[in-house]
Amino acid sequence: MSNTESEDLIDEFIEEIKKSLPEWLKNKKEHKEILADLEEHLREKAIELSDTGKITFKSTLDAIEHMGTPKAIAKEYKRRGTPYVYITKEMWPLYLRMLTMIFAVVIVLNVIVMVSNIIFENPPSDQILGDFISGIQFGLFIAFIMISVTFVLLSREGYFPEDLKSKKVLEKEHKFIQKAQEEGYPLSKKTGRPLKPYIKPLEEIIGGGIGLITGVFFITQPVFVGLLDPLFSLIIRIIGVLLIIESTMDISRGIIGNHKPSTHQIIYGVKVVLKFVGIPFIIFLALNPQIFPWFNYNEISGKWVNQGVSVDFYGILRSLMIVFAVLTGFITLKDIYRIVKLQNYK
Amino acid sequence: MIKRVKGFDPEFMDYASKFESEINRGISTLCIMSIINQYEDEGVHGYQISKDLQEQTNEILIIEEGTLYPILRKLEEDGLIKSKREKTGRRRKFYFITEKGGKIFNYLSGFFSKLTEAIAPLFDVNVKLKRDQYFYCPNCANKIDLSMKRVSFCDVCGHQIDLELKSRGFSDE
Repeated sequence: MSNTESEDLIDEFIEEIKKSLPEWLKNKKEHKEILADLEEHLREKAIELSDTGKITFKSTLDAIEHMGTPKAIAKEYKRRGTPYVYITKEMWPLYLRMLTMIFAVVIVLNVIVMVSNIIFENPPSDQILGDFISGIQFGLFIAFIMISVTFVLLSREGYFPEDLKSKKVLEKEHKFIQKAQEEGYPLSKKTGRPLKPYIKPLEEIIGGGIGLITGVFFITQPVFVGLLDPLFSLIIRIIGVLLIIESTMDISRGIIGNHKPSTHQIIYGVKVVLKFVGIPFIIFLALNPQIFPWFNYNEISGKWVNQGVSVDFYGILRSLMIVFAVLTGFITLKDIYRIVKLQNYK
Repeated sequence: MIKRVKGFDPEFMDYASKFESEINRGISTLCIMSIINQYEDEGVHGYQISKDLQEQTNEILIIEEGTLYPILRKLEEDGLIKSKREKTGRRRKFYFITEKGGKIFNYLSGFFSKLTEAIAPLFDVNVKLKRDQYFYCPNCANKIDLSMKRVSFCDVCGHQIDLELKSRGFSDE
């Protein structure tokens, strides 16, 4: 048998492995190196098994038998990740994220269909509800089956979430990890990866600065001196004091930066208390719209006069104050969530 | 092993071969790590690993040689080994054990030794651990090389071992 036939045999075997390898590996730079390493190994084995010290057709055949089938080699590359209910642990968070996302889309689509049905067809209410529920049930079921099957197949092929990301995203993540290592960002207890910075220092300092100026303005009330309702003036001053304290804390957080998570937690705790203190004052303002100022220039006396807000606008003022109180409540909840989240950074 | 026997009962062969693969899976990875560990700083290439594996196990632990590379890749991905490619010539890839890999290997090696010793009576064989050379942490089975610098605590579980080492005269009997 000629040497060409041995070469053909080697090429054929390597080509078979190339075809069998999982897709995620084919996209990587190391793909060629893997094939080269296997070919090098096969050649060395063929020489070892040859009587002549040179690759022969028979020694190549024997070497191929020692290597294992291309399918078995590829299967070993696919054996990747920690088994966990048919989907690997590595793919599980992405699977849950995908389910949540698609479920949200299904629900939103069903709401849109329901609203357009009501507008254009106006069917009986029980039919609207029935269609809505069955639409959601069907949509969720199909989405669940499709996503689950896809993720089971991806897990069987040995995919990891990063294999589904583009090179650009991976590069960005790589840069972030490098920066995180340089700046000593804390590591996640769950994934072991660096956690994203929990604050943007500059934003905190600028925001705190604006808050500080507003707070000073509320306390000093430099314009329309003496024209405000005494109760309104007092409440605004109290809110000003709260604002100054909170803004000073924001500036301190900006200066501390992404370090000392416990200090950030304490500051957030104080901020939560301050916001809770502020909410009753906003509600008080909502309940007493008559104390709100409305200035008018009196041409006869040549002075500004506080004539108060017209009764017609009391409703709008109340709604605005309630919206403001609710927003403050939400921000307070967000601060509580941040206190809990910061626990991961310790 | 069973694959070497030709013309065997196919059903038996299939079952035995699957069972053998299951037993071999973890053990072969541990043996591969052991061989890489033997080469320390000079490193070792894939072909040499498979050759050593055959020789040092008296050709009992046989792995399909092509499947060695995915195992090496996984170990590298897990940070247990690292590799360096030759810059000239055949550009072979040399593998080295990492610090993390060494620690994991010592622990698994200790666990496997103790396990082998424990299950030996079930198969009516004798296994004698080299207790004059190694100390097996009584808490976690981590294997501690007594020829290395003296240690006071197990580097895996933190168990205090210096007193036990002293009282047992370098033995955990």
